[in-house]
Amino acid sequence: MTTSGKLSQPVRGQVDVDGLLLSADPLLMRLHLRSGGYEGGPLAVPELAEMCRLSKRLGMNLSRPVQASDDDCQIDMWVETQIVSPGQEDQIGLAIIDWKEHPRDDNGHADLARERDFDRLEGKGSIRTDEALRIIAQEMPGNAANAAETIGQSLLDIFDVIPPSANARLLEAVAERQPIRNQRMREKNGAQRLFVLQGHPLVDKAGIFSGYRFAATPDDTAVGGKNSKVAGGKLISDSLFGLQLGPALRQPLGKIIANAETISSKLEGPLRGDYASYAKDIASAGRHLLDLVNDLSDLEAIERPQFTVAADDIDLVDLAHRAAGLLSVKAADHQIRIDLPDEGDVLPARGEFRRSLQILVNLIGNAIRYSPDGSVIKLKVSAEQGFSRISVTDQGDGIASEDHDRIFQKFERLGRSGDGGSGLGLFISRRLANAMGGSLVVESMIDQGSTFTLALPEQKPA
Amino acid sequence: MDRTKHNDIIRHAAAMADKASFVADDFAQALFPQTEVVFNDRMLSNARQYLRGIIGEIEQRICRIATQELGVTQESLVKIGQGEEGQSFLLLEDSGLLKTTEIVQHLFTKTQRSELAARLLQKISQEDLEATLTRHLDHGDTTIAEAAMGLLVAQSKTTGAAGEIAANLADLSPEILYAFAWPITAALVRVAGSSGLQLQQATERLFASHDESAGVARKAERLARLLAQSTTEKDPTPHPMRDGLSLFIARLARQSGLSSDQIIAFTSEPNMARLVVVLRAADFPTQEALSIFAALDDGDHILTAATYGETDRDRSLTLVSNWTSPPVYQSAERILSAGFSGDQGK
Repeated sequence: MTTSGKLSQPVRGQVDVDGLLLSADPLLMRLHLRSGGYEGGPLAVPELAEMCRLSKRLGMNLSRPVQASDDDCQIDMWVETQIVSPGQEDQIGLAIIDWKEHPRDDNGHADLARERDFDRLEGKGSIRTDEALRIIAQEMPGNAANAAETIGQSLLDIFDVIPPSANARLLEAVAERQPIRNQRMREKNGAQRLFVLQGHPLVDKAGIFSGYRFAATPDDTAVGGKNSKVAGGKLISDSLFGLQLGPALRQPLGKIIANAETISSKLEGPLRGDYASYAKDIASAGRHLLDLVNDLSDLEAIERPQFTVAADDIDLVDLAHRAAGLLSVKAADHQIRIDLPDEGDVLPARGEFRRSLQILVNLIGNAIRYSPDGSVIKLKVSAEQGFSRISVTDQGDGIASEDHDRIFQKFERLGRSGDGGSGLGLFISRRLANAMGGSLVVESMIDQGSTFTLALPEQKPA
Repeated sequence: MDRTKHNDIIRHAAAMADKASFVADDFAQALFPQTEVVFNDRMLSNARQYLRGIIGEIEQRICRIATQELGVTQESLVKIGQGEEGQSFLLLEDSGLLKTTEIVQHLFTKTQRSELAARLLQKISQEDLEATLTRHLDHGDTTIAEAAMGLLVAQSKTTGAAGEIAANLADLSPEILYAFAWPITAALVRVAGSSGLQLQQATERLFASHDESAGVARKAERLARLLAQSTTEKDPTPHPMRDGLSLFIARLARQSGLSSDQIIAFTSEPNMARLVVVLRAADFPTQEALSIFAALDDGDHILTAATYGETDRDRSLTLVSNWTSPPVYQSAERILSAGFSGDQGK
């Protein structure tokens, strides 16, 4: 990534009379794609598009500073427009002669919150520390009550570093502001649970190191080890996906998806069009497999007799906003608008935070998958008869009344295929809703869209 | 009295009669100014001279393109293209077409910039002022060195005679050139009595050949950005005697988030109060702020360390932040809040 501002050659692009990006060097193409554009589509960087329009309106070549931003950073550019000479009329050439990237300083907070939600959805905890590894915020799975007590304490006072690694190696990585990967730690107090920590150094608005954000995954391999002993040397345990295949498959699948997406978006340079399409197919197939692994892990978990869910105090309006935030990119890809309850509203309920979020992500994900592009998905909340309800309404093809029960059955796809679904999402969601003392029902008619309603017990007054 | 002179008086008298109703307006503006900015005779004279000059430049370029590239043969246009005095100015002046806010604001900024340059030249020689940029020519970052060279070259092309504002087309922003050129084209069509199509094409060609990157303002702005982004060498606080006027204004504008035109306008106000607030908001050291004030002041005012030190920084930051809002918003806000307070710094 170029961040220094010095370019050996200007970054060039060509825009036509309708504002379509005809060609672009890799840096500009990356910015265009990250801004929501697509190849051959309208130039999606508003500041550059505006400059092209002004240049065209005035009929003059401009030379101006431009500030744009993508998901990761703000980019300070110096841009010159060049009205292309007769013979190629109605085209504007762009030459970006300075390009300097800075970490984003506007909605970094929102991005961090969204990352935390992804972690929570996957059952991970998250810990935010200052530059001296003192804990500023902590959300660990199944440990909400103790979170406040750890604030202000050093990470190393709360966790023991598990050999073969040692404190010195961890501190060395912190001193060098390096990412921390696969660091195994054990809680010093309480249940002495094991976690694997992944840490990312954080940089503040002034570009100064400000601490770490850790994702903490419960270390199941240790538990798996105990189980296999109990099983008397069985090669495959009772928890095939949850404890064995799932963790082993997720990492390589993640790498396949990430690399295939990099190739398909041509970030490393130009590529033949059909090869980029193959890479897109690989990424899509990888995501499907990953979803399947996650669904099978969940299926296995909920079918265990000892499966229980936590009873957290949750707010369905807050959950709706978080779930919609997690799927915002997917919705935008299909020009779908998600209509949410007012952010200021509150609808308290009892249920496990992570599982309720999982259900909503599943419902909204299905709604996006089966709705026409450009349609609206509405989320509404209500409370009646001791239950707090949230409904997800789409404008899709609808479901025949005779199929209303079938869609909640295991592996039921109603004859659909090739859309990335596994046929387990609704089955798991209903089982989770029931486990939380609630319900998940559907109302739908052919050609009139569908409404899925999740009901959870109301919070009892203290 | 000969007949020609008699006709002149008749024509003059008729013209006066047409304009008589505006006398009260002019007198009212002089009697009841809406700002405290004082426009001295030198500024007004410079503005008129610049206006004539820039209109002459534009009409000459249009006529040259029309006659040399598009085959227009009308004698009056050929003569203007060859450098004879044009006739657009009087037509445009009488019609009121030059009184747009955009053009008048440009004239004011140009004139005030010239005033500042003249004030600076009372404290430092032209040679020393030009030498200020040469210190960047050896900068470790070649991009900065090249940008400094570009600014130096652009400045050398636009240096007019002492006390004059050079009418240089390359220094016009595209928006201002556009605002000037179309009325001038219409005036030329009227003067030549010809079809406007070829003159319009000539104007479009003039636009296509205009290069905003060649102007002093953009070159200074780019150099200011590069210096601010430089991690190899940190430049000291901006100062007109160390940076030269253009780079100083560009650096201060970048630091404060304001435009160069705003900074220039602030220097025209009594006691340069808004400039002082900008310096305070940017936390300029006291001695630097006093020195900048002295370099840009016309000699009648003094900024003391006590006054500067007592200027509240938080309030200064708020005010500067307000001034960075879009001008239309500021103007609307001012109108809506009129009558509530006269001390909002707006």
